[in-house]
Amino acid sequence: MSTTIDEATLKSIIAEVMRELQPDVQPKASTPTAKQDPPQGGRISFEEKGEAQRGTDPTEVVIALAPGFSTQQFETITGLPHGDVIKEVCAGIEEEGLTYRFIRVLRTSDVGFIAHDAAKLSGSGIGIGIQSKGTTVIHQRDLPPLSNLELFSQAPLIDLETFRAIGKNAAKYAQGESPQPVPVRNDQMARPKYQAIAALLHIKETQLVQQGAKARELKVQAVRS
Amino acid sequence: MELVAGVDIGNATTEVALADVSAGKPEFLSSSIIPTTGIKGTSENVNGVFQALTVACERAGHRIEDLSRIRINEAAPVIGDVAMETITETIITESTMIGHNPSTPGGLGIGVGTTIDVDALASERGRGPWIVVADRSHDHDQIARLINEATHLEVTGAVLQRDDGVLVHNRLAHKMPIVDEVSLIEKVPRGMLAAIEVASPGHIIETLANPFGIATLFGLGAEDTRSVVPIARSLVGNRSAVVIKTPAGDVKERRIPAGKLIFEGQPQSLEVDVDRGAEEIMTTSRRLTDVSDIRGEPGTNVGGMMEKVRVVMGNLTNTQPRDIRINDLLAVDTQVPQVVSGGLANEFSMEAAVGIAVMVKADRLQMQSIATQLTDRIGMPVEVGGVEADMAIRGALTTPGTDVPIAILDMGAGSTDAAVLRTDGQGRSIHLAGAGNMVTLLIQSELGLELFDTAEDIKRHPLAKVESLFNIRHEDGTVEFFDEPLPPSVFARTVVLKPDGMVPLDLDKPVEHIRQVRIRAKERVFVTNAIRALERVSPTNNVRDIAFVVLVGGSAMDFEIPQLVTRALADHRVVAGRANIRGTEGPRNAVATGLVLSWGQ
Repeated sequence: MSTTIDEATLKSIIAEVMRELQPDVQPKASTPTAKQDPPQGGRISFEEKGEAQRGTDPTEVVIALAPGFSTQQFETITGLPHGDVIKEVCAGIEEEGLTYRFIRVLRTSDVGFIAHDAAKLSGSGIGIGIQSKGTTVIHQRDLPPLSNLELFSQAPLIDLETFRAIGKNAAKYAQGESPQPVPVRNDQMARPKYQAIAALLHIKETQLVQQGAKARELKVQAVRS
Repeated sequence: MELVAGVDIGNATTEVALADVSAGKPEFLSSSIIPTTGIKGTSENVNGVFQALTVACERAGHRIEDLSRIRINEAAPVIGDVAMETITETIITESTMIGHNPSTPGGLGIGVGTTIDVDALASERGRGPWIVVADRSHDHDQIARLINEATHLEVTGAVLQRDDGVLVHNRLAHKMPIVDEVSLIEKVPRGMLAAIEVASPGHIIETLANPFGIATLFGLGAEDTRSVVPIARSLVGNRSAVVIKTPAGDVKERRIPAGKLIFEGQPQSLEVDVDRGAEEIMTTSRRLTDVSDIRGEPGTNVGGMMEKVRVVMGNLTNTQPRDIRINDLLAVDTQVPQVVSGGLANEFSMEAAVGIAVMVKADRLQMQSIATQLTDRIGMPVEVGGVEADMAIRGALTTPGTDVPIAILDMGAGSTDAAVLRTDGQGRSIHLAGAGNMVTLLIQSELGLELFDTAEDIKRHPLAKVESLFNIRHEDGTVEFFDEPLPPSVFARTVVLKPDGMVPLDLDKPVEHIRQVRIRAKERVFVTNAIRALERVSPTNNVRDIAFVVLVGGSAMDFEIPQLVTRALADHRVVAGRANIRGTEGPRNAVATGLVLSWGQ
């Protein structure tokens, strides 16, 4: 009995996502899609500057964005605008007196590998990887890809304050300090509540993966809030 | 073949020495050491003794049935406990100052002005100078924009609630010092004259930590300057600070009345106020030749503390708390981080505290009943040997290079015991309060650690800083490299190097600071107690008249305590060092060895 209810819920979610997936096929003026009408709050635009190079500046933290970040999806799973997410992470790094550089990882949508790619290109050896739905990892280049310094696996529980703290901690690691890990909230209900939508958002992002593609250098042109 | 086993049941470990005595002179075959089962002096010890005997016999290629005699020690019935009492507190009235150390303040230099809310900038007509106060509801872009737009005003500094100091500073047209992370910003009085100072990284503020500096900024007279001394003093060592001039603002250091300690003994009973500090307490205790009991003034903090000790001791020894007699006490001055009351940014201040270790002599422990139980279990004669201290000396004399007159210092967890053996064969022994547990307590309180176990780790093992995933820097500066990357949990952290791996510490203090706290704690307890103990057992009450001092017991195993004691006693021209029982056992097994040696005498 309960199975059918779950299925029904799932179907409605899938239907919703499928509608989002094909905004150009069925443009509807009454239901604005993400692409046409960016969410209130921050929206970012990028300029791609070719292949991402390995940095030499020991004061930089590299932030790697997943393939769909602000190109296909514009807010996290809980509706935080990507512009605001980026703004807070950058503020956290800047407050510690360090600099940041953006790259886009195209070869994978796995946040661990995205963050590790960032770390490998970072002058300080510290990188942050952010998936479109908000899942985030702080990585260090000498660690194995599946390990990490800090992992924020439950995207629905990451708020803007946490993103600020993530930027701050990454900067502190880059300075060789030992920050307290950012407190991670845990909510058993987040999993059943968001699992289906999270899976779909991840599938959407994974569709943009270009196997073997090199990471691209990104210039963030406008962070508007 | 005639096998004799000496068994020493200690607070932490049970040790056995096994020897063949058929030749008339004991020939040592093996020894063993295992954790004591149960509390020392209770029948639960029997299991541990049995296991230790089995291990020792196996090592010598015998079975436990081969033993012809077992001797156990007449354990010194001494138990110690520790407690801590804060005796000062800092109170800020009228929110006069913000003396916390945000890790990233903004800007540099000094700004003086009247405090004003950031929202009031646009409508303000007075030229200033102003110090802007901004709460959490404003983000850094907004604050910077409001300040930049107020071109008609002179803004000389800012106080922020969020961690935005550098961010705002980077966006300002005119640079100014900024103090951030002031959590209780709503309490900052508006419309008052204030001064902000931020020093460059690695430096400390100079003007606001100087009474005349504050006087210069605020134009104070001689009388008012006198009243800002506590403010200046509390800001010494900070990288940033805010001082606000309010009519009755002040920073006070108050001594908390902690109560009196009452020493009962000969020639008379003496009282001392705990808030006068450790030195005063120890001087008072030295004026008595014989202490029969130490009590705390009823209804005070120290009264409650001493009562608690009695209850704990009473439970351990199965006696009524009122029958417990506290025979010795070691007081040590220490510092405890405490939240400043009236502070605006959760400032911490290192407050003076007194750590107190006490020692209780209980009734004779139930060694005879343990011996009887053991006899029943393995069916052979078990006898209770001589006094623990005498046995320890006999054992200690097997250390190569020692001779009478000799003293031993047995540094355990709960108490420091000393015994001396003179040339004429006369002996004397003493038990003093304060040992390993006291050191752990001092480390815990001075570093503000939550767990006793963390402090215990810091006490026992050296420190290192993980510099990258492939190398660590030891506390002495040497670098060690690794082939495999270290686990990410220790990355960039200060770690304790335990034998079974690195344990990261949740402390943002430099390695050297932690190391100093550790060494000072050990010195204040063990060096103080070594000298105190030797003075009492020395025939002339002078440490110099003891030729040899050997260190035994668990704390003698420590990686630096023996060196600290050796160095301190070298100043008294005493040869002191870690024992090496039978030339092979190190500082362990002294009592067990002594028990075997005293067989047949």
